[in-house]
Amino acid sequence: MKELLLSGDRRALAKAITLVESQKPEHQKDAQKLLSSIMPYTGKSFRLGVSGPPGVGKSTFIEGFGTYIIEEKNKKVAVLAVDPSSPISGGSLLADKTRMEKLSLSEKAFVRPSPSSGALGGVANKTRECMFLCEAAGFDFIIIETVGVGQSEYEVANMVDFFATLMLPNAGDEIQGIKKGLLELADAILVNKWDGELKQAAEIAAQHYKNALAILHKTTNWITPIHLCSSIEKQGFDAIYNSLTKYQELNKQNANFQKKRLQQNKLWFESLVHKAFLSFVNSKFKESWEKLSKEVEQQKKSPYEAMNELFQLMGLDNT
Amino acid sequence: MKESSPMQDWQKLSEKELHGKKLDTLNWSTPDGSLLKALYTSEDLKDLPHIHSLPGLDPFLRGPKATMYAGRPWTIRQYAGFSTAEESNAFYRRALAAGGQGISVAFDLATHRGYDSDHPRVKGDVGKAGVAIDSVEDMKILFSEIPLDKISVSMTMNGAVLPVLACFIVAAEEQGVSRSQLSGTIQNDILKEFMVRNTYIYPPAPSMKIVADIFAYTSEHMPKFNSISISGYHMQEAGADPILELAYTLSDGKEYIETALKSGLKIDDFAPRLSFFFGIGMNFYLEIAKLRAARVLWSKIVEKYSPQNIKSKMLRTHCQTSGWSLTEQDPYNNVIRTTLEAMSAVFGGTQSLHTNSFDEAVALPTEFSSRIARNTQIIIQEESSITKVIDPWGGSYFMESLTQNVIDKSWEIIEEIDQMGGMAKAIEQGYPKMKIEEAAAKKQALIDNGEEVILGVNKYQLTKEEEIEILEIDNPAVRENQILSLKKLKSNRNEKSAQNALEALTKYAETGVGNSLELSIQAARARCSLGEMTMALEKIWGRYKANTQVISGVYGRSMEKNEQWQNIYKDILEFEKQEGRRPRMLVAKMGQDGHDRGAKVIATAFADVGFDIDLAPLFSTPEDVAKHAIENDVHVIGVSTQAAGHKTLIPDLIAELKKLKANDIIIVAGGVIPKQDYDFLYKAGVKGIFGPGTPIPLAAADVLKAIKLARS
Repeated sequence: MKELLLSGDRRALAKAITLVESQKPEHQKDAQKLLSSIMPYTGKSFRLGVSGPPGVGKSTFIEGFGTYIIEEKNKKVAVLAVDPSSPISGGSLLADKTRMEKLSLSEKAFVRPSPSSGALGGVANKTRECMFLCEAAGFDFIIIETVGVGQSEYEVANMVDFFATLMLPNAGDEIQGIKKGLLELADAILVNKWDGELKQAAEIAAQHYKNALAILHKTTNWITPIHLCSSIEKQGFDAIYNSLTKYQELNKQNANFQKKRLQQNKLWFESLVHKAFLSFVNSKFKESWEKLSKEVEQQKKSPYEAMNELFQLMGLDNT
Repeated sequence: MKESSPMQDWQKLSEKELHGKKLDTLNWSTPDGSLLKALYTSEDLKDLPHIHSLPGLDPFLRGPKATMYAGRPWTIRQYAGFSTAEESNAFYRRALAAGGQGISVAFDLATHRGYDSDHPRVKGDVGKAGVAIDSVEDMKILFSEIPLDKISVSMTMNGAVLPVLACFIVAAEEQGVSRSQLSGTIQNDILKEFMVRNTYIYPPAPSMKIVADIFAYTSEHMPKFNSISISGYHMQEAGADPILELAYTLSDGKEYIETALKSGLKIDDFAPRLSFFFGIGMNFYLEIAKLRAARVLWSKIVEKYSPQNIKSKMLRTHCQTSGWSLTEQDPYNNVIRTTLEAMSAVFGGTQSLHTNSFDEAVALPTEFSSRIARNTQIIIQEESSITKVIDPWGGSYFMESLTQNVIDKSWEIIEEIDQMGGMAKAIEQGYPKMKIEEAAAKKQALIDNGEEVILGVNKYQLTKEEEIEILEIDNPAVRENQILSLKKLKSNRNEKSAQNALEALTKYAETGVGNSLELSIQAARARCSLGEMTMALEKIWGRYKANTQVISGVYGRSMEKNEQWQNIYKDILEFEKQEGRRPRMLVAKMGQDGHDRGAKVIATAFADVGFDIDLAPLFSTPEDVAKHAIENDVHVIGVSTQAAGHKTLIPDLIAELKKLKANDIIIVAGGVIPKQDYDFLYKAGVKGIFGPGTPIPLAAADVLKAIKLARS
């Protein structure tokens, strides 16, 4: 599988992603082996994260911008999108490709939507690993779309080189409601739907974001740009792309680019340990875990008491 | 002792007959959720505002004409199109001789979407579901020896409305009939295409501009021609209940009025030529009430624009019996269903009617099934005395009360759309489509649960189904012939004037100056093809891509107590344990068939039971679908097909997968597939076929089984 993957075989890449995403222990072992063997071939792409509230037009933006990257910048684009699974059935409805029709049919693109999780409780989010697979298969521009709610934004921001947040052209009151944290996370704000009736509203909104950002103090030397763009009319892509290259150059000069990636590796390790430990406890001490959970629920024990008891059961000293 | 009232006596008697059960256990509800009683009395007529109105008079509750069918019955207008212009022409002429009174043309999917028959994207679509028209030459054959000054022609065309209407006008002109003599209707209802049927070409704004151009042209030059048929039919077919259908259709009408007024027309210039088109399903009373309510509501809507001509306020409509209510199982039952639906339409006061053929659940009608369908109407008209009385339901305690309820509930929905800024805005947000898909999923669950009875499908099923004779279409042969004619057309014409005409169209798209129908007529005269005319505008406007939205949870919630459903849910959990992931299916539609209700219902329901479902874009080619399937690494592709392209497109898909060494991805198919094709498809490698009426739990279980089998 490794050779086929490295040769850029589409089917091998697709199968490799399936393997990496699989929740079956045997598969996970194979996946780790595969990942370790391809790591030397990764790292050569630009990694872009795209987030934004529902309805902002993330998929349509990626359709337009991804096509632009292929046609104007002659790159091979891989898109990884995570869609929420139903908390009730565990199933999912993945419709991203209906909004990325041109891009997803391009010979120079690979678009793979993934369901966020299965019902077995494991977080199936293997986006970072899938990104490495795409790089090994020769894709040199990776776009990661996140659902734009909760924890996933932080996770994605921690695996990409550049994190862009799409915003709706709602000037005024909406601005108040934006999470401050999200603005801090963003390396660029893209005000979408800069077309038709909303054109002026988009321009006003962009000005509002500029004002809002001015109050924030960022720790880095990068001044978060605000870009207007229209996914439908394909406007604003040049300016966005220029920001990406400018960011890359600036950070390469002061070695921040590589530093950021190495730091992300550290975070990746931490998160792997975190997940592996939880799943280890969950499987090896399942009964105790469930019993203690119940006791906490029934107010027989406090969460602290239960945790300490669990650690004792595992033979670990938690003091 | 106080004497009891007759009503109290009746209540007592009733509860005795019900063996002590309360009277309100007889209450029932219509699909929109309205609660109805079992008995209506004069009390229910109190305060009804239109109860004393008369037929032919505003607000037309009792009919648009004063004498209705007592004066002249409705027009029997059967929708048909048979692959080629020659065959269709022969059919129309036979039908007219046998009692048909107007022509209704069904075009093939390639034509609908503005592609000539030689376009590579329409390989499986040419001659399917209707007649292939590439140019004015085809149109001339279609109406050969049919006097267009006498016979009214209805054309179901929305996307490629310009070239088709232009070719029709030029064909008539060359037959010696002037445009002012032409009568009939062009569907021209693009809004509902964006909502349900998906046979649009351009984006909404230029599409609406075309509609306004057609209004302007016909109001000036074609006084007897209906410039639009504002259609609810396809909404009901897509799953809308009759009230949702009515409200959205009228909201569409309102949007067209606004568009025309903005383009500079006056209300009385075009409003009298607006016509409507409703579907008639199996809710017998409700469908009658719907048509009566429609007229009152339309009168109220148009009133706001202060028309001087009373005809501007008068709703005239065509109706068609529901295709959705037809079953593949025990198909002769469909004759009875269609008869009941036809009676609803007639009691509601329709102006023209199409009755479906009993085999339309699986194929295009045959000569025999068409005859039975037509005769259904002739028997009502000529044998039953039904036509003798105008609005026979007028004054009925129940019907008048029901009609008022339909008026009130529809008005609420119309106001909701108004608040969103009108139908165009609402469609942009995908709201009406979502509401209709929700209704469709709910309805499917009711049927799969057996709460809504369909004979032969979920009750009194036959142990053995008899095969019926169906019409087979040789799609490759039709396509070859069309390609030959196109070549001939292009070599025989004056190339310079053809190119000039096309350039004029392109320039129109750039500048917006002129009338697109006028320019299309010139192009048709210059022997430009339908595809060329479409492309001349598409160059500037582009081809519209729909924003697909999905709903979830609606079907699953209704199935929570269904044991079979719960078992599949558990099987999927087991599968996930074994395989490390859930069963994953790509739901795809190929070719130019835009009817996506089936695909959407399957997608949402399968996801609700635990599948991971990918949706492919509409109008995909087999090559496109193969690429999506491989990249998403699905276990199975579910092909949804409603328009007979499956015998070309599915083998092509299988070949493409093989070429890409992905033949471990299996294929199942669902939709309108005649039994006669099952063997062919199985031999081609299809692993499961699900015809109309297959309960979704059964389909889901079978797909899961097929995946497991393929993986073992």
